Amino acid sequence: MREQRGWSGGNLAVKFTILALTAILLLALQQTGRLGTLEGLVTLVTAPGQSGLSSLTDRLSNSLTNLRNYRNLQQRVTELELITQGLIVENLRLKEVERENQRLRELLAFAETRPAFELRGGQIIARVIGKNATNFLDVAMIDLGSRHGIHVGMPVVNEQGLVGRIYTVTATTAKMLLITDPSSTVNTILQASRLTGIVNGAPGSDPVMGFIPQGTEVGIGEVVLTSGMGGNFPKGIPVGQVVDVRQKDVDVFQEAIVRPTVNFGRLEFVMVVTNFDPFESVPLLDTLPAQPVEPSEETSEE
Amino acid sequence: MRSEIARRQPRESAAERRTLSARPASLSPREWGTSWVFVPALGAAAIFQVVVAPRLALQGVYPDLVLLLVIGKSLLAGRHDAVVWGFTGGLWMDILSGGAVGASSLALMTTALLTGIGHNAIFRRHLFVPFIAALSGTLVFSLVYVGILNIVGFRFQPDLLITEIVVPVCLYNGAVMLLATPLLNRMPEKADYP
Repeated sequence: MREQRGWSGGNLAVKFTILALTAILLLALQQTGRLGTLEGLVTLVTAPGQSGLSSLTDRLSNSLTNLRNYRNLQQRVTELELITQGLIVENLRLKEVERENQRLRELLAFAETRPAFELRGGQIIARVIGKNATNFLDVAMIDLGSRHGIHVGMPVVNEQGLVGRIYTVTATTAKMLLITDPSSTVNTILQASRLTGIVNGAPGSDPVMGFIPQGTEVGIGEVVLTSGMGGNFPKGIPVGQVVDVRQKDVDVFQEAIVRPTVNFGRLEFVMVVTNFDPFESVPLLDTLPAQPVEPSEETSEE
Repeated sequence: MRSEIARRQPRESAAERRTLSARPASLSPREWGTSWVFVPALGAAAIFQVVVAPRLALQGVYPDLVLLLVIGKSLLAGRHDAVVWGFTGGLWMDILSGGAVGASSLALMTTALLTGIGHNAIFRRHLFVPFIAALSGTLVFSLVYVGILNIVGFRFQPDLLITEIVVPVCLYNGAVMLLATPLLNRMPEKADYP
């Protein structure tokens, strides 16, 4: 007779049912937001390991890349020396321009240098310590959590553009939903044509900007920026560039394929925009003060 | 007196059996399915999965290492152990990365049930059994996982999902399993074939 011990033996159906019910219970607990503490505890233990392995992998990856590029290095050094000489001259000129710029700012009583983007609040730099466990979600984990002032909904950017937004926070880590995830939606505007639309992630390919009104031509290479509508992201952050346009006369809207400005394959450091207040919902119409509807003269004439 | 001994004999062996079943599971690698060493081992595999596996991406997809471990376990030790591995590995994956906690567990457990068919005395050592198990296991895992994500509110485009993710991942996992087959065949195997 075969010896049956612990989980190794027993009835498979009973075992499967117990584990499946446990998994469903955990799923329900997480969906109702009651699993945060446990997740926090686990990530508290695993985050240092993830961080260490991540930096080790980065170093290994960089070394391999350098080794692969060794043959081209000599030629590249010569080219870079020429470029450097040009840059030294340009740098001197720019320093002079900067000084002049500074004087003008003081004259105009600018309180501080205003960045190109209308970002409210500060930014804190976080390190990406983990990416997706499966191929179906585009998420990444960073080494900052609620202890560092990170909250759900905060936009995440890097020097290249929009990365995503925070959607789960534990004490020491946070998970961000990247703009390439099919569940992600970003209200955007095309820089040149000023057409608005919504950028959605697409599984396994570049995001798609949908809901672009018909009638105006969308140019290939046009820059896509966040529009600030919906209140989820600050206005003016680069999202990507249009690489293809799908336009059919029979459709209500046209679509554009957007190549993100951010290189998600080499995502190492990101900045979380703090003090930006994202709001998910709009006020209910019945809570708004009632306005008397009086048609204007222009309307009545029309 | 003799009858008393005869009466005591079965009682003693029952107690001995109880002691056997209550003793802590062995930590030897041969009994990883019954010891608890596999819990941190799968945790380490999940960390490897979220940190290193995305760097092995080809055409935007990368191998599912935890899934391949569960499939390997189901081939070597059968469904009983693999289901427990699936549950544990799935929890690690869901906690360390995004997604719904429990979704990977359910998907991996279902996969283990299917691929456990490969734990068979007759054709287990055939070269194509691990490959076919990886292909079919990845397909089942994908369908169950995406189904659960759909239920909890994630949205996918079915056509793109199949052509851009499911098919390439099946092939990638199949190829990795094919490469790992010689290693798999050297691992200690449970001979409790059905």
